[in-house]
Amino acid sequence: MSAFQDARTLPRDTILTPDLAIIGGGPAGISLALALADSGLNILLLESGGRAFESNIQKLYEGSQTGVPYVALDGGRLRFLGGSTNHWGGWTRPLDGIDFENRRGMAHFGWPFARNVIEPYFARAQALIEAGPWVYDEADKTASDSGPLLRLGPGGVYTSWFQFSKTKVSNLPTHFGDRYQTDLVHAPRITPLLNANVTAIRLSPDARRVLQLDVATLSGNRLTVKPRYTVLAAGAIENARLMLASSDVMTAGIGNGNDLVGRFFADHPIPRDVATLVSFDGQIAPFYFNNLTLPNGAVMRAVLSPRPEFMRAHGVVGSLTTVENEVPLDPFATAAVVTTAQALGVNASSAKAYSLGCGMELAPDPDRRLTLGSARDALDMPRLNLHMTISDDDFEHFRQTLTELGRQLLAAKSGMIHLSYNRRDEWLGAMDWGNHHLGTTRMHNDPKQGVVDAASKVHGIGNLYVAGSSVFPTYGSSNPTLNLVALTLRLADHLKKVMT
Amino acid sequence: MTRRAVLAGLVAVLAAAGGAAWKFRLFAKHYPPTPYDDLLSEIVDRDPAIVFGQAARKSLPGASLLAAGLRRDGRKLTERATREPGEAQIAEVAGWVVPQSVALYAALAAQS
Repeated sequence: MSAFQDARTLPRDTILTPDLAIIGGGPAGISLALALADSGLNILLLESGGRAFESNIQKLYEGSQTGVPYVALDGGRLRFLGGSTNHWGGWTRPLDGIDFENRRGMAHFGWPFARNVIEPYFARAQALIEAGPWVYDEADKTASDSGPLLRLGPGGVYTSWFQFSKTKVSNLPTHFGDRYQTDLVHAPRITPLLNANVTAIRLSPDARRVLQLDVATLSGNRLTVKPRYTVLAAGAIENARLMLASSDVMTAGIGNGNDLVGRFFADHPIPRDVATLVSFDGQIAPFYFNNLTLPNGAVMRAVLSPRPEFMRAHGVVGSLTTVENEVPLDPFATAAVVTTAQALGVNASSAKAYSLGCGMELAPDPDRRLTLGSARDALDMPRLNLHMTISDDDFEHFRQTLTELGRQLLAAKSGMIHLSYNRRDEWLGAMDWGNHHLGTTRMHNDPKQGVVDAASKVHGIGNLYVAGSSVFPTYGSSNPTLNLVALTLRLADHLKKVMT
Repeated sequence: MTRRAVLAGLVAVLAAAGGAAWKFRLFAKHYPPTPYDDLLSEIVDRDPAIVFGQAARKSLPGASLLAAGLRRDGRKLTERATREPGEAQIAEVAGWVVPQSVALYAALAAQS
């Protein structure tokens, strides 16, 4: 058993020599450490924070921004054990097959493998995030006791299902730090080291291997780690920052020979009140508004998603549309509903209207990127600048999906839809973000198009890997946690093969 | 005359008056005649159609062109509105996604 160690209390200039150093104690880092607990490898899990929030640690995340307004860089993530699972909402859904596809006519889309490559890891990932039995779209069958699915005519949008991470003793989603700290300290070969900030990754002179990691604490201590292998699992923003800042051998930054590290940053925009859905008979099953707990314990929520066939045919990206709350209809809206319902021969005297929310997928954009700024943090690390973009096409893709939903409601004579936003300023005025940081060390078999290869190994460097959603080359609209944990479990299997 | 006979007569008169009112739309709102009344009569409730049509008419041609287009295939509004979503013939009016014919009829109502 290895109790938590604190980097502040180790003797200065201590040199640690684990088989594997994992940088970051969030969902990826913890999942990887636990998956390798029985591998015989000595694992050092380096976490920048402690076991609870501390503002001086969190401030290390501060940075600057340009472009489209976005969440402050120290605002959408958390820097202590468990990482951003300490504030996640627990929404979970596997990426769909189309999310892995190279999309015709759409630049930068596609993974180097199909969904079936990570499918074998979904069950274990589902268990780690404590999202209950694997149900998802099978809920169509079991949720019928609670009400009918929204009636839609044939077309491109359908009811799909999210599940929720819920711990057995709390309504809160699983916070990986709290939940797995006991497992970490009981694993004989895992050493969790808190308050340990990796400030540089040092390469061999030929830039083919990681030789050592520089570790610093805010209290002024300095350590060195000399691992056989290293996995970066610090989140999509910090992974890029540490690679860019480690520039003594590769002057553009580690893995950045092709100027890709930090590019293709993405998140899921979640603009509010994107549309109003009118149900002519006023009936919408409660599982569209609220979580539904199935008899088997799975906690579900129905959303509306574009079908892969529709996405391919119309060149649109993924999205999920949520039904939020009942809203009143003004006189003009009432006139629209009455006129349409009467034309369809439908009685709309009981009609009710509901606002819709959403989560949108962004198309990959190399100009949406992180770069090092001139400012430095308390550990003398360069701070980041994020240049955020969102294109008119991104909005238009989602608008097409909403229009299709409206068409299908009319075809079924069950309702209709009003689209709230048309102009870019209207979309941006309603914008919020999922805080799902993605894409900055993207995966691609071609080093000119990706930072890591299909095994998550940094191109050209034999013993450096990246875990987490920073490797997602295409993002989908599903929340990333389940998927990044599944991908991390796959990486664990790979590391077992190459390291043992 | 017995009270029963008086009541029966009264009921009969009221029923006849009600039937006549229904038949000749005595209490329905009447609108000035237009050259498009054959089309506008298909709209169940013209007042909300006029309100909605104010937004629809902005992006559509004038009433005579609209009417000519709607008369061309002779189909009724309900039949059109029911079929059009399945045939992807939809329009967006001030953000509302509606069957194309609903936009056209409403615009016609607003222009007449």
